[in-house]
Amino acid sequence: MNDLIRVVDSPAEISTAVTGVRECAAANEITPNIILDVFEAWGAALGEPETADIPGVPFLRLWLRRNTLEPIVIRELGRGALYGDWMEEGRARLKAYPVGVVGHWPAGNVEIQPVLSMTCALLGGNASVARIPSRLSEQTQRIMGKLVQVDGNRLLTERVFMPIFDHDRRDLHEAMAKAADGAMIWGGEEAVLRVRTLSFPHWARLAVFGPRISVAAMDAGSWSSSGERELWCRRIAREVWQFDQQACSSPQAIFLEKKQGYFAAEFVQALRIAFESENRLHPRRAIQPALTSAICQARASWLMDNVANQAVFPTGPDWTILLGHGSDIPRPTQGKTLSVLEADDLIKVIERLDGNVQTLGLAIADAERERELASLAAKRGVSRIVKLGHMHVFFPPWDGVDLIRPMVRMVRHVCQTD
Amino acid sequence: MSELVERIDQLLARPPYATPPAEHLAILLELLKEELEQLWCRDGGLRNYVRHWPVDLRSATRLADLPYLPVAVLKAQPPLSLVKASEIKRTLTSSATTSQLPSRIVLDAATARRMTKGVAAIAQNFLGSFRRPYLVVDTPDSARSGLEMGARGAAIQGLRPFATEVTYCLGPDGKGDIVLDRDLLIRFARAHADCPVLIYGFTYILWKYLVQPLVATNTSLDMPSVHILHSGGWKRLQDEAVNKETFNTGLARIFNCSTDHVLDFYGMVENVGVIYPDCVEGNKHVPTFAEIIVRDPLTLEPVTEGERGIIQVCSVLPTSFPGHLLLTDDLGELVAYDGCGCGRRGTCVRFVGRVPKSELRGCGNIELRRRVAA
Repeated sequence: MNDLIRVVDSPAEISTAVTGVRECAAANEITPNIILDVFEAWGAALGEPETADIPGVPFLRLWLRRNTLEPIVIRELGRGALYGDWMEEGRARLKAYPVGVVGHWPAGNVEIQPVLSMTCALLGGNASVARIPSRLSEQTQRIMGKLVQVDGNRLLTERVFMPIFDHDRRDLHEAMAKAADGAMIWGGEEAVLRVRTLSFPHWARLAVFGPRISVAAMDAGSWSSSGERELWCRRIAREVWQFDQQACSSPQAIFLEKKQGYFAAEFVQALRIAFESENRLHPRRAIQPALTSAICQARASWLMDNVANQAVFPTGPDWTILLGHGSDIPRPTQGKTLSVLEADDLIKVIERLDGNVQTLGLAIADAERERELASLAAKRGVSRIVKLGHMHVFFPPWDGVDLIRPMVRMVRHVCQTD
Repeated sequence: MSELVERIDQLLARPPYATPPAEHLAILLELLKEELEQLWCRDGGLRNYVRHWPVDLRSATRLADLPYLPVAVLKAQPPLSLVKASEIKRTLTSSATTSQLPSRIVLDAATARRMTKGVAAIAQNFLGSFRRPYLVVDTPDSARSGLEMGARGAAIQGLRPFATEVTYCLGPDGKGDIVLDRDLLIRFARAHADCPVLIYGFTYILWKYLVQPLVATNTSLDMPSVHILHSGGWKRLQDEAVNKETFNTGLARIFNCSTDHVLDFYGMVENVGVIYPDCVEGNKHVPTFAEIIVRDPLTLEPVTEGERGIIQVCSVLPTSFPGHLLLTDDLGELVAYDGCGCGRRGTCVRFVGRVPKSELRGCGNIELRRRVAA
């Protein structure tokens, strides 16, 4: 375990460890089918008390199940890839080979992200070197402890290295980048831009996920129905609470299409109850003072900039609902600060979206209208259009990119003879 | 309104650090509630903010329950004002070294008068009431009277009531920077060697333009009776690895005075009329017409003694802008709600630093992309 995840302080430590995992991966070809067996056992072990309470672990356990991952492997790499077979394609045959060592730069705000990112590269047969932000080291150690526990033959753990170091150690980032044949980069703008400037080899493949934001939209038939309102509000609260609204898939704003005789303020009252309930279940344990300041600032400027604006919030920074009108996405605050905007026509809202928006969560009663809105959103740059309540469901393509395929080489062999 | 103003003036006339805390907080609560009701209702945005505040203003029983504004709202352009444009006599601007945009504070005649009185009452408590020669470690331009005045100018002007004469010892160097006028300084030191003198400068300016040049030439001035006040934050000095002890020792050596005579005061343009000098225990005290609440960032509730949090400043002095209850961008430690060894009553705090910039904003942070697009 100490070899797999540990604090590093010099580029040499990283180089030595990378050489080790590279050699292991090159010497021992491993099929996705075998990996899925280990993942299945790992997922089961994560249900034990030491790890079950880590944020995101319930999702990780679902992710690691064969039922989840096998279809993804088949869709991205082809059916034969599961057993490491060549796949026939006319006179040619195709097979997925790993790119080599994949470096992972996960965002610091999602506890399970280092592991999620790593699983994608492992399924492609790669070795993985995942930089663990100091803030996530304790949780990641517990999660990886379960992999060590189930992977008795070290099929996977021998090809994984997780150095723990601070984000400002440029020399260590450089050492990781120089040794990588591929990189999966997640996070906010500053983090992504910093990683992209590292000295990767010219052949290295970079897959960047984020930074983007997400929004939701509801037609009048959905939000005005008193019978369904509470259910929708509970779903929205869960979307906002996960990852403290800092994930690229977290809704920052929700647009409600206007309907004669129905008032968004009533919807906001139902949302308030759902937020209060979610806050009781999952209270915040810590906060950065800067986020508290930003939340206070968002409340004040929202109410002072336009006297028609409304807001609901408790005395603490726990959550905030800002109610107003319009078709533009307000500046995101994060920290469970949700803008609820009444709009005359959702088409007008979606027409104003752009490539900044990753996910559009929809609650649309009319299926034909939903397809129309989805097509328009896709055209405007949105990468995921899902039912409101499923905005965080991690399933490829993510950000418009497959999760396994970018880190494999699809080798084509054109047969000389029949 | 006139009754309200009269009550503010009565509070301002009290000794600044003698009111028992319970009485102090009760007076402040009632006055601030009335100010918010009477003054904030003049602005639609402020009215809307108070209306949505989770605690009803009239039923609030604690100072901490009243609606406070994040200090950044005072960066609004045009500045937030509670008086007619014709009544504005001066606009103060903050230094904005870290936040880029300065706050803009409008003063009418009454607020400006209370600002002067407030600073004078506090400074008098620390320095004594007599007038003395006043050496300003800055250029005359920085305190030039005009419609707009920066934080440095406001601080310099705030101490003028203690001056028999004012001398500025910095001037332009002709290359866009400023430089110490050594001859003038030495003449001033010789003329006032044996009498009490008041010196003021921004912390960084004192270090860079007075201490460093004099240390470099091994110059010292024999002025044991000086009191040196400085303000303006430590960020730039921290960047140069200069801490408070080094700073105080450096100044004390230059003037051949005790380090006790070097007084750091925390103050912000937005908190007009209130400065917070260090007492002999190293704490910052709040005068009767103001209060500091240190709020836990997790709950925004006031912290208990010994805990740290975000500083909120409260003041009854402004009537021309909504500077009554401001959540600052500074972190502080609540030392005690009463009972400081220096004898001053009420809340005492220590300044810890600026609220650090958020580091982890996750993959949902698209700030730069939006900025570039804009």
